[in-house]
Amino acid sequence: MQFTRRFSLAILVGIALSPAATLAEELAEEGFPSRPITFVVPYGAGGTTDISARQMATMAEKLLGQPIVVENQPGASGTNAMRAVASADADGYTLIATTSSPSFVTPALRDVGYDPLSDFTTILNYSGPFHGVLVPADSPYQTLDEMIEAAKSGAVTYGTAGAMGGAHLAFASIAAEMGGNLQHVPFDGASKATAAVLGGHVDAALVPAYRDLVLDGQLRLLGVLDGTNDPDFPNVPTLKDAGYNAEFPSIVGIMAPAGLDAAIRDKLEATFTEVASSDEFKTFMTELSQPVRIMTGTELTATIKENLNAYREIAKSMGQSN
Amino acid sequence: MLFDAFLELMDIWVLTAAVVGIVSGIIIGAIPGLGPTMAIALLIPVTFSMEPIPAIILLLGVYQGAIFGGSISAVLLNVPGTPSSAATAVDGFAMARRGEGGRALRIALYSSVFGNVFSCIVLIALAEPLARFALDFGPAEMTMLMLFALLVITLFGGGSRLNALIMVLVGICAGIVGLDPISGTPRFTFGSFAFENGFQLIPVLIGLFAVSEVLLQVFEREPVATDAEMPELQSSAVRLVELWRMRATLLLSSVIGTFVGILPGIGSTVPAFMSYNLARSRSLESETFGKGAPEGVAAPEAANNAVTGGALVPTLALGIPGDAVTAVILGAFMLHGLAPGPFLFRDHGLEVYAIFEALLLSSIPTVILGLLFFRVAIHVTRIKPKHLLPAITILAIFGAFSVNNNLFDVWVMLGAGVFGFMFQRGGFPLPPLLIGLILGLPFEQSLRQALLTSGGSFEIFVHSPITVGLLVLIVISVAISAFLALRTSRNA
Repeated sequence: MQFTRRFSLAILVGIALSPAATLAEELAEEGFPSRPITFVVPYGAGGTTDISARQMATMAEKLLGQPIVVENQPGASGTNAMRAVASADADGYTLIATTSSPSFVTPALRDVGYDPLSDFTTILNYSGPFHGVLVPADSPYQTLDEMIEAAKSGAVTYGTAGAMGGAHLAFASIAAEMGGNLQHVPFDGASKATAAVLGGHVDAALVPAYRDLVLDGQLRLLGVLDGTNDPDFPNVPTLKDAGYNAEFPSIVGIMAPAGLDAAIRDKLEATFTEVASSDEFKTFMTELSQPVRIMTGTELTATIKENLNAYREIAKSMGQSN
Repeated sequence: MLFDAFLELMDIWVLTAAVVGIVSGIIIGAIPGLGPTMAIALLIPVTFSMEPIPAIILLLGVYQGAIFGGSISAVLLNVPGTPSSAATAVDGFAMARRGEGGRALRIALYSSVFGNVFSCIVLIALAEPLARFALDFGPAEMTMLMLFALLVITLFGGGSRLNALIMVLVGICAGIVGLDPISGTPRFTFGSFAFENGFQLIPVLIGLFAVSEVLLQVFEREPVATDAEMPELQSSAVRLVELWRMRATLLLSSVIGTFVGILPGIGSTVPAFMSYNLARSRSLESETFGKGAPEGVAAPEAANNAVTGGALVPTLALGIPGDAVTAVILGAFMLHGLAPGPFLFRDHGLEVYAIFEALLLSSIPTVILGLLFFRVAIHVTRIKPKHLLPAITILAIFGAFSVNNNLFDVWVMLGAGVFGFMFQRGGFPLPPLLIGLILGLPFEQSLRQALLTSGGSFEIFVHSPITVGLLVLIVISVAISAFLALRTSRNA
């Protein structure tokens, strides 16, 4: 008796639940989001990518009406988190705040277990710190050209945040093109490369977050690696302005697993664009010394695609290709 | 300026922030695996709506509290809560086994405060010139410094030098796994993505010290800490005279901690062990070290707490953080409109000096809160092993996972536990392994960086006064060690 009663109860519950489940799936687009969204940050808590992503999440959850849970998955320069998100369900409930390195630099070098183009849907780009070419104040080089010329007659050393990063590869392609002896010295993070150039241990450094040190006259900014000028230093040329065919565009964008429903994608893009273009977010980013650089998902895909190919070429010429 | 800044602190929120920060820091630090970095990162959003001064004081309170908190579990359970308290565990736990846990904790507390105050004064007085000096340490200088640190750990650790050397090399080998720091290509990863991140310090630490301790107690034929054998808690008072006797050790350890803290990327574990070994080799009763010498607790605690002030020097004066914790603190300063860098002292002098003074004054609440905390914490030693060991194991798994939210780290932790157990059974010391793991990769990277900048010439290592000075220190310490070894063998 007991058994049958429990059994019939289970059937009743099952009947009651099954139409609800299918209905929920059908209503996915209109009802999105109906539960909390996981927002993966591929770096440790407390870094600039993490802090800005958390601010995006806090502001967007008010618009979406569901909590956005930020989850840090640091390690292997962001590729661990990208691989995890690539294999997550494409239902819009798993997003990742990604940067240049795991989206087009590392995948160009070696197998990372995901394809940045076919495994992801882009939502938008909202930031990206400018990387500069910096020399100490007492350096003999006043322009990029002088530095590249000097490299032809003797070794010029430059430090970056790490081996085979975007900045390194951009300069490696210049060195290959111009035939100079530009010796790369990889450091463990941009701040250590900055310290090395301040102490005169390397001739130049390719790093972000240089504004105050340049304004104070401790470092000189010869150029920026991005495709556009740094608004803080509008007169400093980009590598392309200076006549070199190389760039390292810095992105901080949001992506989701590939196969995401178009309506959900559009809703996410509209929401996050509204947040990123708000004055509140701009003020926040200014305090963090980070630019706000908005690109649509389509533009972000194009940027990633273009650079993935460019970096594959560079890597191939350096014998490091995948 | 200093007085105006002091007036800024006359605010109930400042006091509240300091107390909340220190308390949460001590608790988080005492739990293995949860370090100051994670605590600060998680608290940053909480401070969004606060005024800059209390916000920063809260976060720095967590930093100080966590470094100290790690020593509580190190002393009472032989499980260091943070890597830097691994050195404290050696003599602290030995004291606790004698029933002097309370005394060991108090010595740790007072030494911590001493180290803190010392490095704060250095920070207030000399931030900018010292930051300049730190910049003189390029790859070549760092190589020599790390070589010196490795030598001190190997030669003056007590016990067999050969065993220590073997363990340092095991640590260095473990550190090699992952991405090559210069070419950026994976090595010794067996084609596995999980290995690309290498063996992370925290999981290895938890495995080596916490899990191996659990295994040791489980496999010990006669459990050490049964109810009957549990020693009575002895009086834990520490008189000022005792601290005065340790003045040279405290001062020397604080200097080492502050100095190493100023240099980027070494962290607080290495100076803690260096100070411990130096205190041991200077002591007249060096045979008591490792068996519960109070100075063996005081030296590492003064050093690892002095690191906090030192590490803030380049972070604030140049905007260049030396490690993960200060990188997170840098972000917090920026969020509150106090961008670290050359303009910080000019534009926000008042706030910065107020924060420094708060760091100094927070010693008072730290002592009060620490003493209150001990009353509760000391009872941990009276929990039966069968209740305590499972709890430690669960915390260990949780802590290893929480570092990167990665299951691989849990396997690394368990593996390190088994290895740690076997090494301890075989009579090998674990600290040199930890130091090898911490310094191996940075040493390799600095060495190769130096050779890249010099075009492959080793001349760079005798090029600057700093490298020559360090070279002299290395030669002297090898000579002293050889002399001591000869003397012992002749006496024997």
